[in-house]
Amino acid sequence: MPTLKNWNLSMLDVQKLTFSYGPEQPAWCFNFSVDAGHCIAINGPSGSGKSTLLGLLAGFHQPQSGDILWNGSSILQLPPWERPMSSLFQEHNLFEHLNVETNIGLGLHPGLKLSAEQKNAITDGLARVGLAGLGKRLPGELSGGQRQRVALLRTLMRKQPILLLDEPLTGLDENTRHSLRTLLLEAKQTGTTLVLASHDEEDRRVLADSAWNL
Amino acid sequence: MHPTPGAPLSHPGWQKWPGTLLALAILLIALGGAGALLWQAPIPDLPRLWHNPYLRGVLSFSLWQAGLSVLLSLLLALPVARALDRQRHFPGRALLLRLMELSLVLPTIVAVSGIVGVYGRHGWLTGLLQGWHPALNWNLYGIHGILLAHVFFNAPLAARILLQALDGIPTPPKRIASQLGLGALWRWRALEWPALKPVIPGVAALIFTLCFTSFAIVMTLGGGPSTTTLEVEIYQSLRFEFDFGRAALLALIQLLVCGSLWWLVARRPLSATLVPDRRLGQLPPRRDNGPGVKIRDTALLSAFTLFLLLPLLAILVRGVPGLVDLFAPATGDAALSRMVQATLRSLAIALPAGLMAVVSALLMLASQRTASRVATLAPYLPLILPPLVLGTGLFLLLRPRLGSSAEGLMLVALINAMMALPFVLQLLKGPLNALDQASARQADQLGILGWYRWRWLYWPRLRRPLALGMAYGTGLSLGDFGVIALFGTPDQPTLPMLLYQQLGSYQMSAAAASGLWLILLLLALFGLFNLLGRPAAGTGVRSGANVEKLEPVHA
Repeated sequence: MPTLKNWNLSMLDVQKLTFSYGPEQPAWCFNFSVDAGHCIAINGPSGSGKSTLLGLLAGFHQPQSGDILWNGSSILQLPPWERPMSSLFQEHNLFEHLNVETNIGLGLHPGLKLSAEQKNAITDGLARVGLAGLGKRLPGELSGGQRQRVALLRTLMRKQPILLLDEPLTGLDENTRHSLRTLLLEAKQTGTTLVLASHDEEDRRVLADSAWNL
Repeated sequence: MHPTPGAPLSHPGWQKWPGTLLALAILLIALGGAGALLWQAPIPDLPRLWHNPYLRGVLSFSLWQAGLSVLLSLLLALPVARALDRQRHFPGRALLLRLMELSLVLPTIVAVSGIVGVYGRHGWLTGLLQGWHPALNWNLYGIHGILLAHVFFNAPLAARILLQALDGIPTPPKRIASQLGLGALWRWRALEWPALKPVIPGVAALIFTLCFTSFAIVMTLGGGPSTTTLEVEIYQSLRFEFDFGRAALLALIQLLVCGSLWWLVARRPLSATLVPDRRLGQLPPRRDNGPGVKIRDTALLSAFTLFLLLPLLAILVRGVPGLVDLFAPATGDAALSRMVQATLRSLAIALPAGLMAVVSALLMLASQRTASRVATLAPYLPLILPPLVLGTGLFLLLRPRLGSSAEGLMLVALINAMMALPFVLQLLKGPLNALDQASARQADQLGILGWYRWRWLYWPRLRRPLALGMAYGTGLSLGDFGVIALFGTPDQPTLPMLLYQQLGSYQMSAAAASGLWLILLLLALFGLFNLLGRPAAGTGVRSGANVEKLEPVHA
């Protein structure tokens, strides 16, 4: 993981990244940069490629050309699990038949080999997001807001320097939105870089430091 | 709702009743067939028959070989499906998928002749094996051969359904698994097993039923009274011993076993479609696919391809000279005209059967949308009602009146259509139900009902699947050897019967020629229907396959 000490030097640099879903589909070109510890809002109407951009950053798609730099070195060749990123989607973030603890634990170690501290950290984390004692529940037994708290908790506990947020708060109640926004702001203050795709005016106002229009 | 311009056939009854009536007819035929067994035949002394050690042997062998076949097929299918899921760029992937689809329509009797060509006494592989290891006394005939042939047919079927379940895992969890870097074990626990768990009981039950009622394979590869199944025993009782009571009892036992199995396992309907839609979006990379795994998968998939391909190659290699001989002037016209006659007879049965299967599947699917219970359940009846049982019943019911052979052939076409119905239905179900709620509501509002709805909303989507359904229905019937064995006459054979006769009299070259000819006929049929299924150029209607985007763009 890149060090966060010299965070004022570090940045995410997306350089002329081009992509299309097929030879006859329209091609996109993405070009922007964001400093570490800042939040950039990606603006654009539906179908303008916001999710595609986040998928490219995470490594789910391969671009036709261009590059993605983190702290000056290209991460384009890294597979998704080695990129310094965590994604949070609007929904479907959790494995439905694994309980909350396991879902979070798999974010800490992909084989669920957890130390005692890590297990404690999960319990503490659940308490911190207001879900104390719900670790054994299945995602289906939680409300939409609770599920998203679990998903965000896992995302944050992975301690990756970049968060990719794809409509992370859409469809949630005002209370949950508020508390999740607070968590995201805290993450930003500790140096995490956020890339936010959201239709929500308030999300962008509260979280984003800069914007890039598609 | 009746809009003023009045779309033709827009009364709701048109959607409901034709399919429901057809379903009732199927129910009636099935009940009639099974019922005829009960009242026509003097049921023999039950306890004595039950204690007959020979029959008990037959029953336990049927169960034993079917159970083993299920186990072996699944043990092979599971790693193959997972390897196919992992290796999207395996060079032979498209070929292998095609081969796996072929196994559904490949006539058993043809495959058996190919298997004999590879593993039989003078087969390629047997020769190799005996060369290396002369002490190995390999004999295809008996349980080995039956299991081999059952795995040859059912492992690809199972692998295809399992692969489809794996393909059906939605993209979001796949992405998360990719980002978290889950290894093989946790990927299995988090993604694969949950997707496979609901399908496996249905697949197992399907394979069990197919193997338990296996006829052609056991007839040709069984090789003795110690390795015979109920289905073959029913045939023997009917055809050679004229002991209808015994046949009835055996048929009932078979019905009971299959019926209770389905009752236990498949109360949740098997929702897998039989032909995977190849919607390969860009899949996120996965961590459990290192170089070691790639090599292992490649080896496995290559071996499996070879396993499926070798018998076909054997048919090709032996069949080409046979076919050339057939058309050579030296052979005389007798053999050729026999083959042509058999081909025409086969087509005369198979084409109407395919058409019947497709039309009734469509009508029943339409009824199913009006929540007609009988239309939902009846088409699956032929799955648990083995064709010979149905045939036996109808045979007994119609025996005095079955005068001309033409009537017999019509009956065969009818039963074949019923047998193909569940498969064709499964094929059409997905595309028919793909019309989303929003479009349906909009169509309602615009008054696109009845015939117009069919013409403009369903037909463009269903053109291809209908053609494919027609090909499958016809193909299944073309390869049928069970029902025809009961009703046909030896001097007026269909192609599979001809092939069986040639195998029986060890005319291997002629058999290979007939097998190859049958496969060519099948390929021609699939090609033809594929061509018919293509939308005509310039109609402005895009076929259903193109409508689906690779990936929803929801940014």
